[in-house]
Amino acid sequence: MFTRLKALFSDIFGQESHQRLGDEEILAEFKKRYHNFRLLLTANKKTLAIMSEMEQAMRGQFVFGMAFVRSQATAASVNVFRIVKHLSEIAPGKYDALFERLKDLQAQITAILARQPQTVATELLLPLEKVGREMSDQVGSKMANLGDIMTRLDLPVPAGFAITSLAYTRFMEDTGLQDEINRLIQAVGADDHSTLLPLCSQIQQMIVTAELPVDVAEAILVGYSELEGKTHPGVRVSLRSSALGEDALGQSFAGQFRSVLNVAPEDLLITYKEIVASKYSPQAVTYRLAKGIPDQDVAMCVGCMAMVHARSGGVAYSRNPLAIRDDEVFIHSAWGLAKTVVDGAVSSDLFVARRGNPPKLVTSQISHKDRIFFCDPLAGVCRQEEGGALAEEPSLTDEEAMRLASIAIRLDETYGEPLDIEWAMDEAREIFLLQCRPLRQMESSGVVRPEGQFGKPLLAGGVTGSPGVAAGPIHRVSRDLDMLTFPPGGVLLSAEAAPRWATLLGKASAVITERGSSAGHLANVAREFGVPALMGLEGAVAALSGKGEVTVDADGLAVYPGRVEGLLALARPVEQDAAAHSPMHAILRDVLDVIAPLNLLDPSAPEFAPEHCRTLHDITRFCHEKSVTEMFRFGQDFHFSKRASKQLKYRVPMKWFFVNLDDGFVHDIKGKYVTMEEIACEPVHSLWDGFIAIPWQGPPPVDGKGLLHIVAHSTVNTNVAQVGDEYAQGNYFMISKHYMCLSSRFGYHFCTVEALVDDRENENYVSFQFKGGAAETQRRTRRARFIGDLLEEYSFRVELQGDEMRAIYAKGPKDLMLDRLRLIGYLLMHTRQMDMVMTNETLVAQYRRKFTEDIDGLLREAGEKHMREVMREEA
Amino acid sequence: MSTCRLLLVDDEAEFIETLGKRLARRGLTVHLANSGQQALDIIAGNELDVVVLDVKMPGMDGIEALQKIKALKPDLEVLMLTAHANVEVAMRGMELGAFDYLMKPVELDELLYKIQDANKKKCLTG
Repeated sequence: MFTRLKALFSDIFGQESHQRLGDEEILAEFKKRYHNFRLLLTANKKTLAIMSEMEQAMRGQFVFGMAFVRSQATAASVNVFRIVKHLSEIAPGKYDALFERLKDLQAQITAILARQPQTVATELLLPLEKVGREMSDQVGSKMANLGDIMTRLDLPVPAGFAITSLAYTRFMEDTGLQDEINRLIQAVGADDHSTLLPLCSQIQQMIVTAELPVDVAEAILVGYSELEGKTHPGVRVSLRSSALGEDALGQSFAGQFRSVLNVAPEDLLITYKEIVASKYSPQAVTYRLAKGIPDQDVAMCVGCMAMVHARSGGVAYSRNPLAIRDDEVFIHSAWGLAKTVVDGAVSSDLFVARRGNPPKLVTSQISHKDRIFFCDPLAGVCRQEEGGALAEEPSLTDEEAMRLASIAIRLDETYGEPLDIEWAMDEAREIFLLQCRPLRQMESSGVVRPEGQFGKPLLAGGVTGSPGVAAGPIHRVSRDLDMLTFPPGGVLLSAEAAPRWATLLGKASAVITERGSSAGHLANVAREFGVPALMGLEGAVAALSGKGEVTVDADGLAVYPGRVEGLLALARPVEQDAAAHSPMHAILRDVLDVIAPLNLLDPSAPEFAPEHCRTLHDITRFCHEKSVTEMFRFGQDFHFSKRASKQLKYRVPMKWFFVNLDDGFVHDIKGKYVTMEEIACEPVHSLWDGFIAIPWQGPPPVDGKGLLHIVAHSTVNTNVAQVGDEYAQGNYFMISKHYMCLSSRFGYHFCTVEALVDDRENENYVSFQFKGGAAETQRRTRRARFIGDLLEEYSFRVELQGDEMRAIYAKGPKDLMLDRLRLIGYLLMHTRQMDMVMTNETLVAQYRRKFTEDIDGLLREAGEKHMREVMREEA
Repeated sequence: MSTCRLLLVDDEAEFIETLGKRLARRGLTVHLANSGQQALDIIAGNELDVVVLDVKMPGMDGIEALQKIKALKPDLEVLMLTAHANVEVAMRGMELGAFDYLMKPVELDELLYKIQDANKKKCLTG
């Protein structure tokens, strides 16, 4: 074969030029190529690791954001570029077509990553009366709904305007701010609470201090002066976030973004920036990450509305949020602004109405409302006051509550879905609608537990914020610092049901708060995450702090000491997270499609060529194969004996051929043969140990069908060696002291074993690839799986594709690496012709047992030998 | 391996100061530059083996600096180290002859290995 290769090589390069080179020059040339070969292998391994990590993310094994997709795609592209470049150094000019292929693929990846939702807004600002429901992609659904309610239903909504997604794009994209933010997130990482908080505060700071584009600032100020014209000069306004994509996947984004009340004209612009910045609040960032929503999908529109001087305010649900079949209207109300109800800061009054015209009050609960939140129109500040004498008074009359119920029912009927409506009522007792969004109803089991059934609770009472039962250690949170120490699976205990705790809901097993109700943001998010929440449980902080593990029964309204298994068994299974189908996963899938699928499987097929590389993986595979071949050819091509292959002599000449890459032999080998003792490569010695440890018992007894298939397929199967092709029946090694690469055809299958075992433990690896066989596909596939399963038991990471198996064991100390090579050596010897018996379950099980016993014995022996050597050295 | 003479270029002064100290402790000779221009000045006046270069810098950005470095000293190996995860920019850097394009945050050992790998290559082709 080598003569054939040489001829080929000479055709391309001209043999003469090589012959003019002296030994020193050839050696220098070889060293350069070898260095490139090693770098190619490093890049190859890195690429495979990146792909594997992306696949893991795809399978939902961890949460990830756009920063992950971007950096993985970039890293994969860079490493594949390096592979191609190093191959071009090993074989100059020969595979340059790959650079073009790579460029194409990279352009595809770039196009996917650059896919931005384009803003459809053409105006920077839209007055609310010009906004309809169909414009949610310009002003966010919150403002679109309010505009619709105002113009189409003619219900009272405060005058105002929406700052559109175009303004947002102008501010964030056109100023380069978004690029800077992406860079920060990439550098710091947003998946850890300890880095998340400072990261978010840095980003928010950046946004708030950035200069608004002049036209955006001007549009906002003009909009405001028109609003003054409709109301009165100096009118105070509320600024509310109305993010695009809030309704994606039916998610509520409850309470993640800022809303600011009672804003004075001089603070308009800075407040606008603050609200845009709240896109990067810790709870918003974690929420998007957990739900797989790309940052770029969330354009922050802002609504600006004249303030209502609220006497009372709250939330109306057009149906029971905690019972799907219950169509009664729920009105939560407190003194002052609705904010107290939404933020879970106070307990609220509850009015329940039965549908009808007019709706009828079914029940009302008047709570102790210890605080009032209102805005002083003159002083321009918002503040909380003690409830005082009003604390026990109903914050709405029954008649007012029923007016609200009528409005809720009308909206529900108009829009054909359950709604969550924020409202305020002014001193003139006029009702205004401030917000309206779809309500996600949940089924609460609403059970009444027989007393004492699960022992004596530590505390009972409160309301169901989110249904379910869960157990975990109590962790009290009162400051941001407490978020950092929050343990996974902890039970969140807090006085207030503050929206900022939402960032912990990915980690918490349950929530207990003293204040708040099912109407608050925290309850909304808890329901979305399927985390049981017990709210409005008075005295909870004092009674439960430091109680260790507890079981929270948000359905039965009680907290029990320890884990109450009987109760936990009643908990409904948590809904599978929809994140695996999130927009983020869709982007990753698209990127992965250009990166990961492997189409080039068979190196002997004519399709194994640059123009058939359809993915980065294909290029990687192609380059790896070619680099090995090119390195192997070097000695022959250059007539360079020192780097030509030597045949192993073990009793008799074996079909094991070695090329010394660097320091793989203990001394220069003159002549044709090399002995095991002359080989300095540690990985080869371990592989050899495993190979010869236990004699092969000969081919397994083949059942008639199996044999027939060999005979039949020998004539057509491309994997079966051509008679007379030397290369088809040998083992070709390239070695240095710490590295080996084996390309082999053993019988009817071919395989590669590659190992780097050196001092850089993190770079160490052993990989084993295996394909083919003589039997029909099904048996070959089964054998691949059989071997894959076995390797997985020894902690290899295994991928199977048809009859091809790829296994890698990466990172680790030397002795573990060498053990893996012994294992592979054993398999090389003993899996020969295994494909023949793969349909016989009994035989397979027998082999499996024997293999495991043999391998364990082999590794034990090696370990003992190693120990003896260590002891001897120490003695 | 012989001592490696390294130049770290990043406009975040604090970042390269800390990194520089850690690398110096591993036996490297470390120079620091806070801008592309400063980097070019240092490169013109010193024998160096490897440059670690940020991409996003005010004034002369990393890609431009890379181009000028390669024009000045073609054999000098340049590692891009950046938080700018962008396939196009990365490819541009690689095509201009960067040895690698690493993304922050990077583990010290990994960076050190890359520097060693780049250094060895430089010695071989130089």
